[in-house]
Amino acid sequence: MLESEIRAKLTVLFRDVFDDDTLQIRDDMTAKDVEEWDSLTHINLIVAAEGEFGVSFTTKEVQSLRNVGEFIALIAKKAA
Amino acid sequence: MLSPAHPVSDYRTLVRQAKRLDTSACTRTVRVALLGDFATQQLATILPVVFAARGVRVELHEAEYDTIELEVFNPESPLYAFDPQIIVLVNATQRLRERYYQFGADKAGFVDATLQGLARVWDAIEARTSATILQSNFVLPQERLFGNYDHKVPESLYAAVQAINVGIAHSAQSRINLLVNDLEAVASDIGRRHWYDDRLWVLAKSLCALDHLPAVAQNIAQICDSRLGAGIKCIVLDLDETLWGGVIGDDGVDGIRLGHAGDGEAFWSFQCYLRELNRRGILLAVCSKNQHDNAIRPFREHPEMVLKEQDIAVFVANWNNKADNIRHIRETLNIGLDSMVFFDDNPFERNLVRELLPGITVPELPEDPSNYVRYIASLNLFETATYTELDRKRTEIYRQAAHRETERAQYSSIDDYLQSMEMKAVLARFDPPHLPRIAQLIQRSNQFNLTTRRHSEAECAEMMRDTEHFAPLWISLSDKHGDHGLILIAIVALRPDEVEIDTFLMSCRVLQRGVEQLAMNAIFDLARARGAKRVLGRFLPTAKNAMVRGFYAGFGFRAVEQAEDGSSLWEMTPSDYVPRTTRITVVQPEAGQ
Repeated sequence: MLESEIRAKLTVLFRDVFDDDTLQIRDDMTAKDVEEWDSLTHINLIVAAEGEFGVSFTTKEVQSLRNVGEFIALIAKKAA
Repeated sequence: MLSPAHPVSDYRTLVRQAKRLDTSACTRTVRVALLGDFATQQLATILPVVFAARGVRVELHEAEYDTIELEVFNPESPLYAFDPQIIVLVNATQRLRERYYQFGADKAGFVDATLQGLARVWDAIEARTSATILQSNFVLPQERLFGNYDHKVPESLYAAVQAINVGIAHSAQSRINLLVNDLEAVASDIGRRHWYDDRLWVLAKSLCALDHLPAVAQNIAQICDSRLGAGIKCIVLDLDETLWGGVIGDDGVDGIRLGHAGDGEAFWSFQCYLRELNRRGILLAVCSKNQHDNAIRPFREHPEMVLKEQDIAVFVANWNNKADNIRHIRETLNIGLDSMVFFDDNPFERNLVRELLPGITVPELPEDPSNYVRYIASLNLFETATYTELDRKRTEIYRQAAHRETERAQYSSIDDYLQSMEMKAVLARFDPPHLPRIAQLIQRSNQFNLTTRRHSEAECAEMMRDTEHFAPLWISLSDKHGDHGLILIAIVALRPDEVEIDTFLMSCRVLQRGVEQLAMNAIFDLARARGAKRVLGRFLPTAKNAMVRGFYAGFGFRAVEQAEDGSSLWEMTPSDYVPRTTRITVVQPEAGQ
C-alpha cells in the first residue's frame, strides 16, 4: 500500500476517533498535540487502524510508537 | 444478542454517537452505577447510547478504576451519595486469574474465598441501599491446565470459574435484589477466541476485544430495561409456513408438513419452544389470514400438533388486515403494543404490521424454519427480572377473562352481573410470600398506575417491615370462574397527621369490578383510625396511564396542585369520604397462602 494512501485513510480515522473534521496529521504529531489523545483513545485508534488496514500490532509495537510518522511506517511495513 | 427493535451498532459508531447523544426522545430514566475491576471507561462511554436506543435515559455513575470494594464498604462513598437504582458490578476473568495465581500452590479454597468475597460486596450494598445489584459472572478462561481433564480437577482455573459461576447463580436464587449479568453466555455466543484480547488487557485493562463491548452494553441494557418493567408479554403467531409447513386451506390437515418427517420437524420443534415460552408465562395469540374453521382444525385434529387450542389466549383467523387483527388482540388482552412480538414468515405482513403498529416488535424470520428457534433465541426478546407462580397460570387466567366477557353480555345490568360473579377478595399488608408477585406487578403495571414508581422487591421488603411509616397493602381477587391472584397494590405513606398514597396500581384484567373502590375504602378506614386530617394522592402522568387521570376526582378528592407537566396533587378530609359499595366479599387469606 502506498504511503499516501495510508496517510489519507489514517486522516479519516484520526478525524473519526478524535471527533475533529479538520484534523490534519503530521509525521511529528504526538499525543501531546491532540487534546483528546489519551490512553483510552490511543487504544481506540490502534484497534480502528487494525480493522481498517487488516493488520495486527504487537503489544510492544503499540507501546513503542512515538509519533504519527512511526505509526505510518509501521502500517506500511505490516500491510506490505 | 441483537434485537431488531434496538440494533446495536459497532463500537466506533457508538463512541461517535456518544459524543452527541440526544436523549430528549427518551421516556424513561434510570440511575445506574457501574463498578468494575477492569478499565470501565470504554464501556461507560457506550452504555448511554445503547440505553437511549431503548428509550431510556441513563444517569451513569462510573466508579474509579478497580474500586468495587472501596466504594461498597465505605458508607460515605460517591456510590451511595449517587443513590443508584441499579448497581452494575462487572468482574473480569483476567483479574480473577491474577488472584488465582497469587492464591498459593494449594488452590483448594479458591472457589469459596472468591464467592465469600463477592458475598461481602453484596452484603455491604444490601445493608446500605435497596438498589438492584447486577452481578456479572465470569467468562471461562481460554487456557486449560490439564486439557479436558480440567473437569476432573476442581482446583484448575477452568473448573474453578465454572464452580464460581454456579455459586453466583445459586446466590441470585435466594437474594431477591441480585440479578445475574450472564457475561459468560455473551462471550461464548461470540466465541472465547474472539472475545479475549490479551494485548488490550496488558495495555489498557480492557475487558474484551472492543468489537464485543456493544454486546456487553446491550446485555446490561436489556436486563436493566426488564428491571424497569419492559418486557414481552405476548407472541402473536401466523399459522401457514410459520407454525406448520404448507397452507391449511389448500393442503388440509393431512397435507400440512408438521412432525417427524422432512422439514415438518422444524415446525414441530418451533412449536415445542413456543410451548415452553407459554409455560413460562408468555401469552400466545394467533393472527392468521384463513377461514376460522380451517385454521383451528390442526389444533384440534393434527396428531403432531404441539400447541393446543387452550394454549392460545386469543385466536383470530379471518381475511381482515393483520394490523387491525393485532389491535383487536391487544384490546382483548389489555396489554401494550410494546409488550407484543409478531412472528410471520411473510415479509409483506411483517412490514405492514411494523408500518401500522409502531411499538410492536417484528423480527425478521429466517427463510429456513429449522433456524426459527435459534434466530429468535439470539434476539433475547424474553428477558425478565421476575418469575412467579402466576406466570405459569397466565394463559388460563386470560382465557377465563374471555369467558367472563361472554357471560357479561347476558346480564341486563352491570350490578346483576357483578353480583353473579361471586367475587371474593383478600386484603392484606405486604408479606414475604407475596413479595415477588408484588414487585412484579409494580414493575409491569403501566396503565392503571397513578405514580408508576418502580419500587424494587428489596424496597417493598423494607416498607413491609417499616410499620411506623408505611401501610403497604395488596388485594387478591377470585370469582366463580377462577383465581385472578394478586392484582392491586396500594402503598400508603404514614405521617403524623396525614397519609399519602405513594403507589396505587391495579392489573387491567380486573377493571370495573369494584376492586379499586374496595382499596380506597380500606385507605380511608386506615386514615380515620389514625386520626389523619387528610389523605393525599398524586397523579404522575406517563405515556400510558391516561386512564387514571381522573381517578382522584372520581373519588371526590380536591386538586391542590396542577403542574405544567400534567402531574397533580389531590387531598380529601377523611370525614368527607363516602365509602363505596362493592359486590366483593372480603375473606381471610387461606392458610398457607
